[in-house]
Amino acid sequence: MTINEPREGSALKAASAARIGIGGPVGSGKTALIEALIPILVARGIDLAIVTNDLVTREDAERLRRSGLIDPARVSAVEAGACPHTVIREDPTLNIVAGDELEARLPGLDLMIFESGGDNLASTFSLDLVDWWIFVIDVAGGGDIPRKRGPGVLRCDLLVVNKIDLAPYVGVDLDAMLSEAHALRDAKPVLTTNARSAEGVEAVADAIAAAVLFKL
Amino acid sequence: MRVIDRILGSRLDEALAVRLHHLEHHDGVDFFTLQSADLGRRRLRATTGKGEEIALALPREQPLFDGAVLALERDYALIVRVAEQRWLRLVPQDKASAVELGYHAGNLHWRVQFEGDALLVALEAPIEDYLVRLAGLVASGRVQSSVKAPEVTSC
Repeated sequence: MTINEPREGSALKAASAARIGIGGPVGSGKTALIEALIPILVARGIDLAIVTNDLVTREDAERLRRSGLIDPARVSAVEAGACPHTVIREDPTLNIVAGDELEARLPGLDLMIFESGGDNLASTFSLDLVDWWIFVIDVAGGGDIPRKRGPGVLRCDLLVVNKIDLAPYVGVDLDAMLSEAHALRDAKPVLTTNARSAEGVEAVADAIAAAVLFKL
Repeated sequence: MRVIDRILGSRLDEALAVRLHHLEHHDGVDFFTLQSADLGRRRLRATTGKGEEIALALPREQPLFDGAVLALERDYALIVRVAEQRWLRLVPQDKASAVELGYHAGNLHWRVQFEGDALLVALEAPIEDYLVRLAGLVASGRVQSSVKAPEVTSC
């Protein structure tokens, strides 16, 4: 008898969809990154859905639904209330329920993305909710963000430094910022993006696929 | 790459234990070691002790645990081994220090356990990252700190 035998990575439909988180401070570009990721992931044949978290609105969900990039039925919204980190870390029940509902409605789903509400550098995801998570910071938020040692920056599986095109305009030494980020995160990866132009976003999609989709 | 999409059971399950015992005697048991902080993951890539690349894609209702059997074949078995958790042992010297220490541990969302009059903080980052947050308490001697060595267990 052979159980859980070696096989090619394409035969994964029977397992639950992979769940990843994308968190980060307000305005760092989480939604823009997702907007840039959607066409890349879809072109790779990845069946995906998205759960957004906002404080007391459904702004990000509506933005994605209106984007024309994804079937609006594949986007769910969670209203996080005053503490957006609570619903992705301490008690992610609302998000788990939203994810389960999407997965029940969309059989064959490969990937579910949970976008956190904009928070601070301390926000992290519970592994009860996601398998792997990205933290997005941006150059315009300040070159000193990595050395502030926020748990989000230190513990995420992938750190994305967004808006790299703005570095010359906001007086940030991008190389120094990235050097500090790499040093603080030991061997964990750091990628750079300009989500508006999709620069660097293919590499983010590669990282997602390699970490949880096993399709590379 | 070996893709694993379910847990077969525990190494202590009677039905599995006999076969595992046989494989142990023929060097057929491989281990996949992970940190306790990663136990919640359902999907990950890793390399086993024998060097095999594996990819976990477990159902959400199947959490990993120490001793979980991931593969069982005629001449090969793969078992999860959870690396021993290192703990920072903090002993407040008076009630006021205990209250302050409790505040910091909660505010910083540290994973903790209680051990008599000590607060144990799971070390998921370099110890300096924790001590620097308690610099005043530790430097003044109001809280004494030490690292609790992992207990030795066999898998």
